[in-house]
Amino acid sequence: MKKLFPLFALFILACSNDNSEQIVNMYSQRHYDVDQLQYDNFEKITGIKVNVIKANADELIQRMRNEGENSPADLFITVDVGKLWQASEMDLLQKYNDESLTEGITKSLTDPNGFWVPVTYRSRILVYSNERVQESDLSTYEDLANEKWKGRLLVRSSSNSYNQALLSSLVANLGEEVTQNWTEAVVSNFARDPKGNDRDQVKAIAAGQGDVAIVNSYYIGLLLSSENEEEVNAGKSISVFFPNQGDGQRGSHINVSGVALAKNAPNKSNALKLIEYLTSDEAQEIYVNNTFEYSVKPNIDPNDIVKEWGAFRKDPLDLNMLGSKRNEAIRIFDSGGWK
Amino acid sequence: MNVKLLTSLISLFLIVPLLYLVYSVVGLNFENFTYLWNNLLLGYSFNTLYLIFLTVFFSLILGIVPAWFISTRNFRGKSFFDVVLFLPLAIPSYIIAFTYSDILSYTGPIQSIFRNNYPELYKYVNLDYLQIELLGFLMALVLYPYLYTACRISFSLLGSNYINIAKNLGMSQFQTFFKIIIPISRVSIFSGLFLIIMEVLNEYGAVKYFGVNTFTSGIFRSWYSMQDINTASILAVCLLTIVSLFFILERYTSSKYRYNYKSNDSVSGNYTTNKFSALYIYIICLFPFLLGFFIPVIYIINNVFKTINIIDFRELLTLSFNSFFLAAISSIVIVFLAILFQFIKKISKSKIVFFFSEIVSLTYALPGAVIALSLILLLAFISKITGISIVFGSLIILIYAYVMRYMAVGISPLRSSFEKHPESFDDTGKNLGMNNFTLFKKIHLPINKTSIYIAFILCFVDIIKELPITLILRPFNFDTLAVKTYEYAIEEMIAKSSIYSLIIILLGAVLLIFLRRIINKSLDVS
Repeated sequence: MKKLFPLFALFILACSNDNSEQIVNMYSQRHYDVDQLQYDNFEKITGIKVNVIKANADELIQRMRNEGENSPADLFITVDVGKLWQASEMDLLQKYNDESLTEGITKSLTDPNGFWVPVTYRSRILVYSNERVQESDLSTYEDLANEKWKGRLLVRSSSNSYNQALLSSLVANLGEEVTQNWTEAVVSNFARDPKGNDRDQVKAIAAGQGDVAIVNSYYIGLLLSSENEEEVNAGKSISVFFPNQGDGQRGSHINVSGVALAKNAPNKSNALKLIEYLTSDEAQEIYVNNTFEYSVKPNIDPNDIVKEWGAFRKDPLDLNMLGSKRNEAIRIFDSGGWK
Repeated sequence: MNVKLLTSLISLFLIVPLLYLVYSVVGLNFENFTYLWNNLLLGYSFNTLYLIFLTVFFSLILGIVPAWFISTRNFRGKSFFDVVLFLPLAIPSYIIAFTYSDILSYTGPIQSIFRNNYPELYKYVNLDYLQIELLGFLMALVLYPYLYTACRISFSLLGSNYINIAKNLGMSQFQTFFKIIIPISRVSIFSGLFLIIMEVLNEYGAVKYFGVNTFTSGIFRSWYSMQDINTASILAVCLLTIVSLFFILERYTSSKYRYNYKSNDSVSGNYTTNKFSALYIYIICLFPFLLGFFIPVIYIINNVFKTINIIDFRELLTLSFNSFFLAAISSIVIVFLAILFQFIKKISKSKIVFFFSEIVSLTYALPGAVIALSLILLLAFISKITGISIVFGSLIILIYAYVMRYMAVGISPLRSSFEKHPESFDDTGKNLGMNNFTLFKKIHLPINKTSIYIAFILCFVDIIKELPITLILRPFNFDTLAVKTYEYAIEEMIAKSSIYSLIIILLGAVLLIFLRRIINKSLDVS
């Protein structure tokens, strides 16, 4: 045992950070393999090393809040823009104050308050069974409350932040009362209690447990490019539908994966360089082809699989509403019985 | 330095999360709680109780029955079963949940085989498997070993007397089991169940995936999604109260009922085994091992081979080292502190030390994330008043949090061991002129050696599986096997996560086999 102690001490020391080099500290909700690829690429170009802690967005927010002024965080990156709004509300972020950072980025995707910069976006869409549903049966999110969908809808739990963001957008667009009624009607149309993740909903359609599911767009890309043949088959048994595309309708709900400067960022200039890199054409190409998300720059095409679903109109709502309407949305989920 | 003061101080540092909770409930706002009460609390409570009921029910069957047969029969392969029945404990509950969901899912092997080869039978396997009943069963599959071990020790130590008396009274095996053995062993059964219930209350990942909202999900829903720390704290205090009740009950029963154990009086071979009963004993003993360890591990190994080309072995080595060293250091600290508490408690007979050494175990009931976040808050506070800047993501803080969380696991075996030995040992030692240190070194250390090993291994196996605390408190660029497994699993990349989970399981399994041998040897369990 005694012989092991120097080893333990060495282990603890070896894992401490070295302060002498150029670094930037990232708190990240993103934990895809492609993110590490981006950070390595960034280090190759600039010589700045990216230190990452990956966890749930809420945990990272609580951690930053509790760390206070001494927080080592430079950047906070999430896959739900509502969490960025929340962090800005909790006074954990600072404005980036540099218009050149959002040059070339679609205007409607940027933050009017100037706290966060969008990196990618995704849509929460409908997928339907090729066998049991006609494309013409589908129209809007609002229509999912229609009785014709009784026992046919599939979706994951209301504790999932993508669902919370979707409902926040409905509260913002339609008001609380309409959203409340919508929720109750949709819950009564569920094929089963909410459970599993987005891919499980697609599999449930393939298995015949339901006909229409609400899922994030990129999961379909991941299913179709899976190495498991059965998953590819499941992906092929459904089609993608972008809701609310008709004349006078607002467009499909989207959510942004965005990045923001932490309030007391110790390496601010390095952090700004990383934001610049992540929104560069080079980095955007890497994102769209690995995660099947959409680029925030109109000049970068989606991946071929995604392109096949066609272009769609985006809901132009101020994305901060996805955070500011969150509490109302959750209360509606609870009282409406969406588990 | 006054030892009583020292232990009390250390305990205070270990119950910080509890203090933090009490602090945050002061001046709380009941408006949100009323909302929670009206909408959700009933459902949360029902789900929590139902899940506990299911897990306990399945654990009782999976744990007690094999323990009974192995303790009272002689049959070929008995020692093999005695080892392997312990192994499912090495598998974290979130891994068993994700693995079985994958096996049973629409795109998994079972449904695919039926769909492609026996379409007429497909409708019988095409089911919605994500049900609370399956979750309870899966959790029981990896938690029953707590009960199995407790029962195994208890049944063996009872000696053959009780069974012989029952035979003379003309009782059948069935009657003997239910009327004598179970009532006599209830203390052990309860202590095993206590650990199982704690684990169920704590579980978050698997529960969320199955869409089951428990108390713990309620805490996170209030705290994270609604930024409502008040309500989260109230829920956590409710949880803590329930656990404290179980805890007191367990302590009460174990102090009230003490039976004389006669060791070296073997019960095995008490009942004869014919060919037919041998067959069903094999089936009963194989069942928990097959479902709880063999099948998931084979499935995981198969996935490892599928992904072997993309495995980064250098990274794997680093992660294994990280996991191993973290678990080892933390377990050593826990065992050291647990021994200190028990020893000081014994020699000082101080009520304060007794109180603290009991209360530090309660932290085990809190979800890891609550512990981690309250620790950050405390450190930020200390840093503010002292002006010392604290690096939050450091291994020392991570280890500190593990120690808080798993103190109960280390204390539990040591407590029973220390309590078992008569106080006359200490008096004799003192009469021989030993000071406290020599008394400890010459007497307490040697006689409690077995439980020290047990405490260390149980802590190690638990910490290597740990997830929420590691996620929140780890330093930059620092991953463990558990973290990596989880990151892939929640993105439904089960195949990619398999190599990491395999190493967690193997590390745990090796230690558990070792532990089994220590227990059997020291207790002379037959």
